[in-house]
Amino acid sequence: MSTFGGLNTAYSGLVAARAGLDVVGQNIANVNTEGYTRQRVTTSATNAAARAGLVAWGATPGAGVSVDGIARLGSATLDAKVRATASVAGYTAVRANALGSIETSLKEPGASGLSHQLQEFWAAWSELDNGTSASAATGLLLGEAGQLTAQISAGYRAVTDEWAAVRGSADALVTEVNGAAAQVGELNGIIRQTLASGGSANELIDKRDALTATIAAITGASVRAQANGTVDVLIGGNALVSGTDVQTLAVAGATTMPTGPDAAKPDNAVRVVWTHRPETVGVDGGELAGALSLLGPADADGTGGAIAEAAASYNDFAARLGNSVNNIHLGGVTSTGGPGGKFFTFDAGNAAATLSVVPKDATGIAAGAAGAGANNAANADKIAQLGAGRAVDAAGNPVTSPNAVWSAFVTKLGVDTGIELAQASSANLSASSAVTLALSNSSVDIDEENVNLLTFQHAYQGAARVMTAVDEMLDTLINRTGLVGR
Amino acid sequence: MIARVTSQTQMRSAQANLQASAQRLAQLQEQSSSLKTISRASDDPARAANALAVRAEQRATAQYTRNADNGNGWLTALDTALGASTTILTRARDLTVQGANAGTMTPAAREAIAVQIDGLKKDLLTQANTSYLGRTVFAGNSDAGKAFTTDYLHTAVSATGVERRVGADSTVRVDADGAAIFGNGTTSVFALLDTISVALRSTDPTVKVSDHLAAVDTALNTVIAANSDVGARQARIESATAALVAQKGTLEAQRVQLEDADLATVILDLKLQEIAYQSALAVTARVIQPTLMDFLS
Repeated sequence: MSTFGGLNTAYSGLVAARAGLDVVGQNIANVNTEGYTRQRVTTSATNAAARAGLVAWGATPGAGVSVDGIARLGSATLDAKVRATASVAGYTAVRANALGSIETSLKEPGASGLSHQLQEFWAAWSELDNGTSASAATGLLLGEAGQLTAQISAGYRAVTDEWAAVRGSADALVTEVNGAAAQVGELNGIIRQTLASGGSANELIDKRDALTATIAAITGASVRAQANGTVDVLIGGNALVSGTDVQTLAVAGATTMPTGPDAAKPDNAVRVVWTHRPETVGVDGGELAGALSLLGPADADGTGGAIAEAAASYNDFAARLGNSVNNIHLGGVTSTGGPGGKFFTFDAGNAAATLSVVPKDATGIAAGAAGAGANNAANADKIAQLGAGRAVDAAGNPVTSPNAVWSAFVTKLGVDTGIELAQASSANLSASSAVTLALSNSSVDIDEENVNLLTFQHAYQGAARVMTAVDEMLDTLINRTGLVGR
Repeated sequence: MIARVTSQTQMRSAQANLQASAQRLAQLQEQSSSLKTISRASDDPARAANALAVRAEQRATAQYTRNADNGNGWLTALDTALGASTTILTRARDLTVQGANAGTMTPAAREAIAVQIDGLKKDLLTQANTSYLGRTVFAGNSDAGKAFTTDYLHTAVSATGVERRVGADSTVRVDADGAAIFGNGTTSVFALLDTISVALRSTDPTVKVSDHLAAVDTALNTVIAANSDVGARQARIESATAALVAQKGTLEAQRVQLEDADLATVILDLKLQEIAYQSALAVTARVIQPTLMDFLS
C-alpha cells in the first residue's frame, strides 16, 4: 500500500457516505409518491491490492469501500399477490356494481316498486267488479294497466341500459389495457438498455410495476420476469407484452343487448379478441372478465349473464302476466255482449318492452261472464283473483300468480346481489391487505430514513476525520522529518 | 409475517379504518332517518320476499274492505225495500180481509178499498224497483234500469246473482232475486193485487175477495223470508268487514316488523358508532403526528 493509500481509502468512505445520503434524500423526497419503492445504496469493502513481485509487504488493509449499486427493496412475491388479489377484486366489484344498480332500479320493497303497481292493477279489476260506476272503474283500470306496462318497460329499459353501460366500460377497459401494455413495452426497452449499461432503472421499474398492476386488475394477467430486466405480460397464457413486442386487444360482439333469437348468434357474443389474429382472448379475471361474465346471454338454467338473466326474467314476467290476464279476459264478454279480445298484447320474444294494453275504452273490456246480464262483472273478479293466487284456468288447474313470479325474481336478484356484494367486500379486503403488505415492505419510513441520515452523516464525518489524520501524518512526514538539530 | 410499519401504511390503515367507521355511521344515519331496515332486496332477501307478500295482502285487504262496504250498501238498500214491502203487503192483507166482508159494504166503500189496493200496488212496484248507486237491487246484473216492467215482467236475464268478494276465498251475494220474491208477470204479487182490486170492484156475486187471502199470505211470507235472508247476509258481510279491519291491523304490524327499524336500537347504535368514530379520529390525530424529526436537533 502506498503512502497515500490511506487518503484514497478515506475518500472512498466519503463517496460511499455521500451516495448513501443522496439515496436517503431520494427516499425522503418520494415519501408520498405512489408506487415508489424505497432504495438502499449497496456497498462492499474493497480488498487489498493484489501483491506483485517478490517483495513481501506484510499484511495490508483493504482499500476502502466501493459503491456497488442502488438496490430497490421491492418484493416480487408481494407484488404478485397484489396483482392476483386486484384481479379478483376487480372481477367481483364490477359484478356487484352492475347487480346492485339493477336491484336499485327495482325499487323493491316499497311504494315505488312494480309489485305495488301490480297490486293496484288487481285492485282496479276488483273495483270494476263492484260495478257501481262502470265508466269511472274502467277509466281507473285502464290507467293502472297503462301505468303497469310503463313501469315494466321502464324496468326492462333500466336493465338494457345497464347492459349498454357495462358494454361501454368493457371498451374503455380494453383501451386502458392497450395503453398500459404499450407503455410497459416501451419501459421494457429502456430498462433493458439502462441495466445493460450498468445504470439504475429503479424508478422506471416502479412505473412499470404500477402499469402491470393496472393490467392485472383489469384482465387478471400474470407477469413473468426475464433475466434481462424486461417482463412478459401474459393473458390466458398468451403474451400481451413480450420484451418490446406489444399486442393489442379489441372487444367484438353486439353493442346493445341482443334480444330474442339474436342473443344466441355467435357473432353477437361479446368477447375480447386479439387484433393480430382472429382468436378470442381467454381473460382470466379482473374487471374485464367481470364485465364479460355480465354480458353473456341468458340460458335455460338461469345461470347465464346476470344482466341478460334479469332481462329474461322481466320478459318472462311480462309474458306470464299478459297470458294469464288474456286467457281469462278472452273467456269474458264485453258490456255490449261481444266476446272479449286480448287485454294485453306483446311480442313473444320481447314481452317486457312491447307489453301494451289493447282496450282503449270501456267497450273493449270483457268484465262479464257470458249470458249473465250486462252489468255482470264476474270475469273481472276472476282476473282480480290472479292477484290473490286463486285463479284457475279453463281446465280448473290453478294458475301461478304473476305476483309470485315477480316476487321470485326480486328474491333471486336480491340473493345474487347479496352474494356478489359479500364476495366483492371480502375480495376488496384481501386486495387491500395485499397492498398494505406490499406497501409495508416497499414504502419509505421517515424515521428509518432519519436514522440512515444520521448513520451516513456520521460515516461521512468519520471518513473526513480519517482523511485529516492521514493528512496530518503526511504533514509530519513531509514537513517535520529530517529536521533534527535544526 | 412481521409487517414493517411506515408512515404510508399508518396513514393508509388510519384512512381505511376511518372510512369503514364513517360508512357504518352513514348506514345507521340512513336507517335512523328512513326507519327502514331493508331498503333493497339484498339487505335481506327472505324478509324482502315476505314484505312483498304482506304488501300485496295489505292492498288486497283494502280492496276487500271497499267491496264489503259496497255490498253492505246493496244489502241495506234491499233490507229497506223488503221492510217497506212487508208493511205494504200487511196493509194490503188487512184491506183484503176488510173487502172480504162483501155483504156489509156499499159499492162506494168497496171502491175506496180498491183504490187503496191500487195505491199499495204502485208503492210495492216502486219498492221492487229500488236501486242502489244506479243498479236495481232486485234485477241481478240486468242493465234494464228497472227490475219490473209495467207488465210486471222481471227484467233479469239470468239467475246469476251479484256477488261481492270479501276475501280471497269468500264472496257474499248482495242482491235478491226479484222474480222469486215478487213473482213474474201474471203470477206476480202485483198481478195478485190487481186481481183483488178487480174483485172488489166486481158486481158479480160469485167473485169473492176472500179467495185471494191465502195468496196474499203466501206473498207476505215470501217477502218476510227474503228479508230475513238478506239480514243474515248482511250479518255475514259485517262480520267479514270486522275481520278485514282486524286483518288490516295484523298486516300492518307484520309489515312494520319486517321493514321498519327499531328506533331505540338504531339511535343507540348511532350514538355508539358516533363515539367510536370520534375516538378513532382523536387517536389517529395523535398517533400519526410525531416522527423522529421532532426529536432530532
